[in-house]
Amino acid sequence: MNHPRTLGPIARRLALWGLVALALLTPTPASAGPEGQLTWGVHLSLVTRWLDPAEMEGILTPFLFYYALHDALVKPMPGHAMGPSLAESWTMGKDALSYDFVLRKGVRFHNGDPVTAEDVKFTFERYKGAGGKLLREKVREVQVVDPGRVRFHLREPWPDFMTFYGTSATGAGWIVPKKYVDKVGEDGFKKAPVGAGPYRFVSFTPGVELVLEAFEGYWRKTPSVKRLVLRAMPEETTRAAALKKGEVDIVYLLSGPVAEEIRRTPGLRLVAPLVAGVFWLDFPDQWDPKSPWHEPRVRLAASLAIDRQAVNAAETLGFSQPTGSIVPRSFEFALPFDPPRYDPKRAKELLAEAGYPDGFDAGDFHPFPPYFSMGEALAGYLQAVGIRTRIKTMERAAFQTAWREKTLHGVLLGITGASGNAATRLEGYVTKTGIYAYGVLPEVEDLFHRQARELDRKKRGALLHQIQKVVHDHVLHAPIYQLAFLCGIGPRVAESGMGLMPGFAYSAPYEDLTLRTP
Amino acid sequence: MNGSRAAGLTLAWRFAAFRSEGFPLLPTLILLTLALVAIFANVITPYNPEIGSLGDRFHPPVWQAGGSAEHLLGTDHLGRDVLSRLIFGARVSMVVGFTAVIVAGLLGTGLGIVSGYLGGWVDQLIMRITDTWLALPALTFAIFLAAIVGPSEMNIVIILAAVYWTRYARVIRGEVLSLKERDFVRLAIVAGCSKRTIMRRHILPNVLNSAIVLATLMLGVVIVTEASLSFLGVGVPPPKPAWGLMLADGKKGLMAGYWWLTVLPGCCIVLMVLAANLLGDWLRVKLDPQLRQL
Amino acid sequence: MRRFILRRLGFAVVSLFLLSVTIFFFVRVTGDPAVLLVEPGASQADLDAIRQQFGLDQPLPVQYGSFIAHLARGDFGQSFYYRTDVLELYLSRLPASLLLATVAMVFSLVIGLPTGIVAAVRVNGWWDSAGKIFALLGLSMPSFWVGLLMILFFSVYLGWLPSSGSGTLLHVLMPAFALGWYFAAAHMRLTRSSMLEVLGSEYVKLARLKGLPEALVIGKHAFKNALIPVLTLAGINLVLMVNVAVVVETVFAWPGVGRLLYEGIAFRDFPVVQATVLLGGAMIVTVNLIVDVLYAVIDPRIRYER
Repeated sequence: MNHPRTLGPIARRLALWGLVALALLTPTPASAGPEGQLTWGVHLSLVTRWLDPAEMEGILTPFLFYYALHDALVKPMPGHAMGPSLAESWTMGKDALSYDFVLRKGVRFHNGDPVTAEDVKFTFERYKGAGGKLLREKVREVQVVDPGRVRFHLREPWPDFMTFYGTSATGAGWIVPKKYVDKVGEDGFKKAPVGAGPYRFVSFTPGVELVLEAFEGYWRKTPSVKRLVLRAMPEETTRAAALKKGEVDIVYLLSGPVAEEIRRTPGLRLVAPLVAGVFWLDFPDQWDPKSPWHEPRVRLAASLAIDRQAVNAAETLGFSQPTGSIVPRSFEFALPFDPPRYDPKRAKELLAEAGYPDGFDAGDFHPFPPYFSMGEALAGYLQAVGIRTRIKTMERAAFQTAWREKTLHGVLLGITGASGNAATRLEGYVTKTGIYAYGVLPEVEDLFHRQARELDRKKRGALLHQIQKVVHDHVLHAPIYQLAFLCGIGPRVAESGMGLMPGFAYSAPYEDLTLRTP
Repeated sequence: MNGSRAAGLTLAWRFAAFRSEGFPLLPTLILLTLALVAIFANVITPYNPEIGSLGDRFHPPVWQAGGSAEHLLGTDHLGRDVLSRLIFGARVSMVVGFTAVIVAGLLGTGLGIVSGYLGGWVDQLIMRITDTWLALPALTFAIFLAAIVGPSEMNIVIILAAVYWTRYARVIRGEVLSLKERDFVRLAIVAGCSKRTIMRRHILPNVLNSAIVLATLMLGVVIVTEASLSFLGVGVPPPKPAWGLMLADGKKGLMAGYWWLTVLPGCCIVLMVLAANLLGDWLRVKLDPQLRQL
Repeated sequence: MRRFILRRLGFAVVSLFLLSVTIFFFVRVTGDPAVLLVEPGASQADLDAIRQQFGLDQPLPVQYGSFIAHLARGDFGQSFYYRTDVLELYLSRLPASLLLATVAMVFSLVIGLPTGIVAAVRVNGWWDSAGKIFALLGLSMPSFWVGLLMILFFSVYLGWLPSSGSGTLLHVLMPAFALGWYFAAAHMRLTRSSMLEVLGSEYVKLARLKGLPEALVIGKHAFKNALIPVLTLAGINLVLMVNVAVVVETVFAWPGVGRLLYEGIAFRDFPVVQATVLLGGAMIVTVNLIVDVLYAVIDPRIRYER
């Protein structure tokens, strides 16, 4: 059931004869085009909206589909944060009010239609995903100069335009075919999406499985693997079992002992690319002058009480990167800080200096779901220096709602995946408009407003560095580590595409993947 | 009057019944032992069950290579002593299980009696609510409630009780319907007893048997549901050592060979649920042969 | 008779209406779907845009009115999370669920019927105890644990069965067993008590008096009659299995409706939750209705009793 690819006996026989005929007719060269199949065990339910870049909602996961089915004018590529793809090149106008893109020549969608400037304009206007409102506010008009050239007119200079349009911050730059969408309609497009990516759509069972086939006319190169299958497997142990048994070739998201088992199984490999997600402790009560958390020394004590490396070893086998900032080093304008050292003695001293020689009751500890065991470990470290908390696990939606409505107290273990640059990462947590900021330092607020208007890249960088320094010196947060995304790779895979692009967790670009030749 | 007395007496554990065929001695002993363990948990545990050190994680039990007498049954993923957690887990699981079963029983039996005896629109209302309740799959409903009230031991009890009271209500109502037609109830009505008195003095003692049998059987269901809730991430909150939570936490170690993290709490659950069910089955035959669909 | 059926039908409709109200408001007090669709740290503007797109900015009664109005036309709406028609989504999962439930039911009866008969015929014998304990074990072991142990043993260690997913008959064996075992005890209990009842009846006593061999009495006369209530329960349980399989479906990556519902709740996908619960509820209500009516046809006294 749900498997349209199982052929009937007659069809199978016909296909067989067809293959024989093909084999007889074509002298087999060394590179005989795409061959073989790669299967993934994906940790998430696969949903229909990821087939359409217009629906991108500010998470990285849909790029799992986009990199196969679609292509963008400019997208992150190995070695390039903004790799020219459907656009060969782009230039900013002298007044910083326009951007010109020159389209690559001869590129076609899967159905044979050429990729033109009209498609770019159509895609932009159709886009309704994350950042869409902002983009439309800032962009006055998309002008089709000629079929191979398109110009974006801005209302005012906007230094972050390319960050929004050309990275994974939005999906607005991923081009869909105007003619095809007009013909089949929105629903029709989701049923049988057509794009300009290296793989074409074969079948999709919502929530369960996506099957793709190599598009030999892809501009960058002909993919090496013929068929890709992405299969949803929500349970971690099941994914690992399927990998061990050879039913799948790559599995996403393993942790602790399961990852350890994969690492020591002969023939299997464990890879662990760093992603943009950073774990950190927030102290929502620090803005209340009556709370012990109001005292910076107490917050520093909490930060020093944690053995980040030990937590890292237990959760992600030591592949994550302990850090002293919630902004990943790889982000533009990031000011890197070393992780605070593990020093429980100093932590106790600090608590005593702050007037809590016997520690204090710090209320609830809210770990971000489902990272409960990590929360338990962290709460244990706090407890060891005298900061007593009670773990309060919540269900994901409830937690996030409460966090945003600012009703959480005590300590919370958060994770942030906000993409873009240092400014976009920080905004949600340290500014007045930030939906997760329980309080704001006036100094930070002022600096943030200044940097948002600053066009000079250098000066802006200086302002942002200053913000990060203030945040760090005030110990507004206790950053833990930048997360490594552990994945298992089976014996048939030569190039898995994992970790080729900094911050991207999944296999990509798909056209670069290869199987081992037997 | 007499009828209710007699039924009440079946409850007053007659020793004759104990000695009669098939009394499940072993299950009773198991439950008693577990209860004792739960009561004296804080006296007999070697370590604090909620505190461990990451450096000590995944020590195997004493008889396995690498194990030590320090941690007889090994340590878990956070370096906590498994034996201590199992012992305290008995307390958590029993408290959660028994309280949930009793709360659900009180609510369900009460509503069942009222519904069955009063009849009319009250009956209609209660039964329609029961139908609606039953149409919601238990786990779904539990996840919902967990999302609304947030997890804590107390809330898990509330959730489980809220999910399972309907089982009692249906069975008890059915019993009440037939009791209503019995002579001793009719006599009481003629004698001018109020509805409240009749429900309390005449109906209640006669349905208690069924309620107790149901409760014994529900204990297992409740404990297994609690484990499933933990698997789905909405069970008893850590670091509390509930068996279901330990089982769900330990499943990660299954593949890497840390079998003691799942097998031990799993066996505890099986022992307790099996014992409760065997006892319940026996009670059912003894006390209430009519009781069928449970 | 017709009045009886109409009355029961009325009850069914009332139940479903209550269910629709319950589920509609329930799901809306559990949190905001918008925050789950974005990366933690998304901007307020993005969240507002999502809420507006789903009509969540409207007052609740308005939302409910529009929900019922669409429902009347058979339109369950669009999934927030999948962005596709909910009914279509549900129907695409239903066959897998039915297959799983059917095979699970077979397992459950294969375990439950013989153990139940033995328990009734050989009370407290060795076979009785062994059978009872085996059936009860299924009830005592949380199914995720059974499932994972089976995967590790049959797939990874022995390599006999595929670990997860669907497609062939081999795929369905493990999840169906895990699910069916849980229900086996209920079938065992009912088989036992209904066998005892039938064995005590005049009719069986008569068969014995006639000197029929015991095996024939039990196998033919008693069992056939005892089977009716058991099959009734099996019918109800079959529907229950479709709805409660979430844990088994998660472990075995089985594409059924249980998982759909669970994710619907986890992601606050209101339309999916409403549709799955209502359609599942409708199935249960319908089966109950059919059972009630059938019993009323068989035994006319029931019509007046309830």
